Amino acid sequence: MREVGLKMLGCYVTGILPRPKELIETTRAYDRKRVGKEELEKAFKEATVKVIEAQTSAGLSYVTDGMFQWQDLLRPFTENLGGIKIGALARWFNNNTFYRKPIVSGEILHKKGITVEMANMECLPRNVPWKAVLPAPYTLTKLSENHFYKNETALMFRYAEILREEIRSLAEKGFKYVQLSDPALVYNPFKDPISRDTLTDVKNALGKAVKGVAVRVCLQTFFGDFTQILPEALDFPVDNLGIDLYETSFEKLKEFTFNKGVALGLVDARSSLLEDERELTTVAKELIESIYPSKTCDVFICPNCDLEFLPWERAKEKIKIVAKVAKNLQKELS
Amino acid sequence: MDKLFPTQEIGSLAKPAWRVKGYRGEPLSKEEIAEAVSWGKRLDIENLEGLIEILKKKKERTSEDRRALLQWSAKFVIRFFEVAGLDVVFDGEQWRSEMYEHVIRNVDGFKFLGYVKSFDYRYFNKATCIDKPKYVKSFYVEEFAFTRENTEKMVKVPFTGPYTLVDWTFNEYYERKAGGKIKDFKQRKTAARREFLFDLIKEVIRPEISCLIEAGAKWIQIDEPAATTNPSTEEMELFAEAFNETVKGFNCTFSLHNCYSNYKVLAKYASQLRNCSQLALEFANRDSRQAGRGETRVGYKELKFFEDHGFRGKYGLGVVDVHTDFVEPPELIRDRILHAVSIVDDSSRIYVSTDCGLRTRTWEISFAKLKNMVFGAELARKGFL
Repeated sequence: MREVGLKMLGCYVTGILPRPKELIETTRAYDRKRVGKEELEKAFKEATVKVIEAQTSAGLSYVTDGMFQWQDLLRPFTENLGGIKIGALARWFNNNTFYRKPIVSGEILHKKGITVEMANMECLPRNVPWKAVLPAPYTLTKLSENHFYKNETALMFRYAEILREEIRSLAEKGFKYVQLSDPALVYNPFKDPISRDTLTDVKNALGKAVKGVAVRVCLQTFFGDFTQILPEALDFPVDNLGIDLYETSFEKLKEFTFNKGVALGLVDARSSLLEDERELTTVAKELIESIYPSKTCDVFICPNCDLEFLPWERAKEKIKIVAKVAKNLQKELS
Repeated sequence: MDKLFPTQEIGSLAKPAWRVKGYRGEPLSKEEIAEAVSWGKRLDIENLEGLIEILKKKKERTSEDRRALLQWSAKFVIRFFEVAGLDVVFDGEQWRSEMYEHVIRNVDGFKFLGYVKSFDYRYFNKATCIDKPKYVKSFYVEEFAFTRENTEKMVKVPFTGPYTLVDWTFNEYYERKAGGKIKDFKQRKTAARREFLFDLIKEVIRPEISCLIEAGAKWIQIDEPAATTNPSTEEMELFAEAFNETVKGFNCTFSLHNCYSNYKVLAKYASQLRNCSQLALEFANRDSRQAGRGETRVGYKELKFFEDHGFRGKYGLGVVDVHTDFVEPPELIRDRILHAVSIVDDSSRIYVSTDCGLRTRTWEISFAKLKNMVFGAELARKGFL
């Protein structure tokens, strides 16, 4: 995290990490009632230590705990908010993975600190800043089944209030960076136009979620083309915008000038192919030069989405690539 | 088939403990051996002593023993389906480790990378394509030939479809290959996916279908659980194109099985599938459990999408939910069938089926469900006399 031609150049992972082999074995054994809760907790802890170490030794500028207890991006909320019941399995966008649908059947009640409790802070290092990942209000809303609030906007605003409390708790505990994951905002297989009204609602909900929070916030989009929400997204009240470069047209993206930081999803978490760091460096450089003619914004290098789509050993290699690309860029842009 | 409302199971049946542990070479408990004997008698299997001898072995079983166990369990399932009264039979995929792994392990050009999360504490072993796929040996012919020899009934071969194999596999070889040529990452991945899919069809899938037909296969059911995972127009057109390329020019009946999917999307493309005589679809799990037709049959609404979009083939109509132990009464089965007939307006287009394979149910429950399915079909036939 050094000053370069840009304000800041950082790197980190984007979301839930894959469970290492030993943890997979223990969770399977637990599922089959062959080991108890205690052994499961121990395995979670060991795996958490392991993936934190992998991030710090690769040289990432922010670390996460790997989020192993998050069964899906929504689950801590689905399980711990009043007024929500856990629904059936549903497909996680266009992946061969599944999440459980939150069924909103009453007023959503929130007891502060859901995600802080799951954050494994005792395992996080003292010398590297911490990053947390939460679902964005829009994605939480779109993936819920609403049987209570008068419309989706009302539900989104309620979620935004809850997220604000969560972000505040995380910031109080020392987290320096919060990513709001928003795949639903850009995942658009039927290419329906996204209305300006929706984008205004999203902007307002984000405003509510980040109001007065003392932490850097990134809205990370993935599984869809980021240029669909441009130029409106440039007005979103967040510090950084995250872009999935395996779903976004380079040419279209280069048509815009950015006035805030970006998180470039340069490493493909849905492919096992290890990228060529030189190629990624060149692509990043071209994009940066194109979207920042004035070169005064923050840039973060990251995987396009959660690395959990890969087996851990491969994900570990990808983390190293993320760090190397950031390092290369530092040299090339300074 | 001349018979009205022919009955069929759709995929795999549970592998009994004696097949799984026996094949692995593990010792079997008295209860596990007793289970084999009990079902063997119930299904009137001949020369059971031969099986018991293998199962009782304390020492390592030979590769011949292991192969014999595959044949025994296949024989059990063929008889299981026959005794339950099904019109179309196969071996419940007893030879296969699993629908995905079985194919990938028998084809060159792939490497398993390890387990990735499906949901919660469930994972699947995911492979990556590291070289152009190469057909080295047949992976379904032996089991088909065995089934063919062991039944007089119509035989169907469930066949894991190429689109699903590609969707469930990482694509290193083709992504690397496209790397030098295409700059935009999205376009690169799309091109690499397409090349992988059509190479797999040409190099592996079609050669295997040829071998099956040569061995006497008359009906191949292409299983494509991943068909609507990517519901975009481009991907659905790719899926339809892949199906058509797979079956092109073969003198054989083909059907498509797709379940727990997005039928609104699939329906739009179903009529583009050429030489697809039947769509096996799941409905029972979405339906109410009361007998009756019309409004009661909430689970069958989506059948109409396929009709509205012009699909005119047959339906493998799911009337048995494979994810519950509830044994559907024959009257409920009958009403599901007759309700579907009222939608498609042609009784000859309905094959009476389970939603999917009964793999997650015990044999006891599966047997009860299938027998009732057969009774239900009989009741429905009476409605047409």
